Amino acid sequence: MSTDSTGDYDGPVTEEISVTVNGETVTAEVEPRLKLSDFLRNECGLHGVRVGCEHGVCGACTVQQEGRTVKSCLSYAVQADGMEIETVEGLAEDGSLHPIQEAFHETHALQCGFCTSGFVMATKELLEENPDPSREEIETGLADNICRCTGYQNIYEAVERAADRMEGGE
Amino acid sequence: MKAAQFEHHEPSTVDEAVSLLESLDEPTILAGGQSLVPMLRFRLARPETVVDINGIDSLDYLREENGFLTLGALARHADVENSATVADRYGSFADAAPLVADPQIRNRGTVVGSVAQADPKGDWGSVLLAHDGAVVAHGPDGERTIPADDFFLLPYDTTLAEDELATALRVPTPEPREGSAYHKLKRKTGDYAMAGVAARLVFDDDGRIADAGIGMTAVDITNARAKEAEAHLEGERPSPELLEEAGELAAEESNPESDEHGDASYKERMVDVLTQRALADAAERAGVVERRVPQ
Repeated sequence: MSTDSTGDYDGPVTEEISVTVNGETVTAEVEPRLKLSDFLRNECGLHGVRVGCEHGVCGACTVQQEGRTVKSCLSYAVQADGMEIETVEGLAEDGSLHPIQEAFHETHALQCGFCTSGFVMATKELLEENPDPSREEIETGLADNICRCTGYQNIYEAVERAADRMEGGE
Repeated sequence: MKAAQFEHHEPSTVDEAVSLLESLDEPTILAGGQSLVPMLRFRLARPETVVDINGIDSLDYLREENGFLTLGALARHADVENSATVADRYGSFADAAPLVADPQIRNRGTVVGSVAQADPKGDWGSVLLAHDGAVVAHGPDGERTIPADDFFLLPYDTTLAEDELATALRVPTPEPREGSAYHKLKRKTGDYAMAGVAARLVFDDDGRIADAGIGMTAVDITNARAKEAEAHLEGERPSPELLEEAGELAAEESNPESDEHGDASYKERMVDVLTQRALADAAERAGVVERRVPQ
């Protein structure tokens, strides 16, 4: 390899971004190709954001961006500059689990747990839009999240339990 | 990080975006990114520059104006899904939106981006064809309107020029006796269509079909129009027999390929069935036919 070809290389071009993550502002210098999912895991240390398929199929990296769920592996961190992001780590308050997390815990809606944060975040939007979903609406609403352990039934039960508990305000 | 390095440009106006497209070397436009980001991740695409249009606020709209329903380039699938205007008057759009991918992708992916991506398995191209719609593009010489029939060339290839940005798509607002629908066959939520059919019917005062539009998904090298089926319908009164004939013609016009989801003859049968269902829904929504063909 010739040294000439890399002699003038002074590192990748980066952009400074400032993102509000779970209420706290994080400022970082990032490469444009850094995905939001990798930013949240590696720059913010939020390992509840799971990186599964990395191409938008498994739903494990689901977060809320400006109040809507998105797959954080399908956008770049630079695109979240100035925006608000909420991850599963932002749900619990003062050490008590969010009612959705509580319901997942109680109904044994997880085994290995890899997909759980994505399911919990998807459930959050589902219940915000439809506080009393039917079983079919739950299945459709969570269809973008894949679980390889539970067979889904306990997850759907968790969502129903969370909906019952959250109805009339959290 | 799995994508190759790229430069990120964030124009805030259409003019700025167009001058970037003009000056940069083979730039790629990033809108919702739900197809592009995976392509970069697998390095199926390795653009040196990416023009991210998400900061062009003027493109974030969905409205009826001047006789058209117009969707700006930043209208997301979910915006269509949640639009009261669409729910009331545009049956095919209301049918198609919740069938696109999955809820999270619909929050982010754009309708215009999906059309410009020109995946033959994309749903919106068929809807656009059925409605005789058009893509609005901005380039160095200003704005031009590309009819849907002249837009799709090959898989992932359109008549958009390298330095043009698709800023909107539009379809005419419905006639007094018009109905439309979209039917899609897919294995599960999140999958692309194995086959899909959009249909739009306009009736005259006499109850005859004055204009018919049929667009097909995933059964040709691009979203494709079923011209013979359309011609067969025009001037006729709807009946189950007529819709069966149209379904058969559409199936003959389709050119599906065999794959792991089904062989070509099966998909042709599905085009037949989906065409009949979409036409029946369209006729019912036009207020002309009360009885639907059996599903």
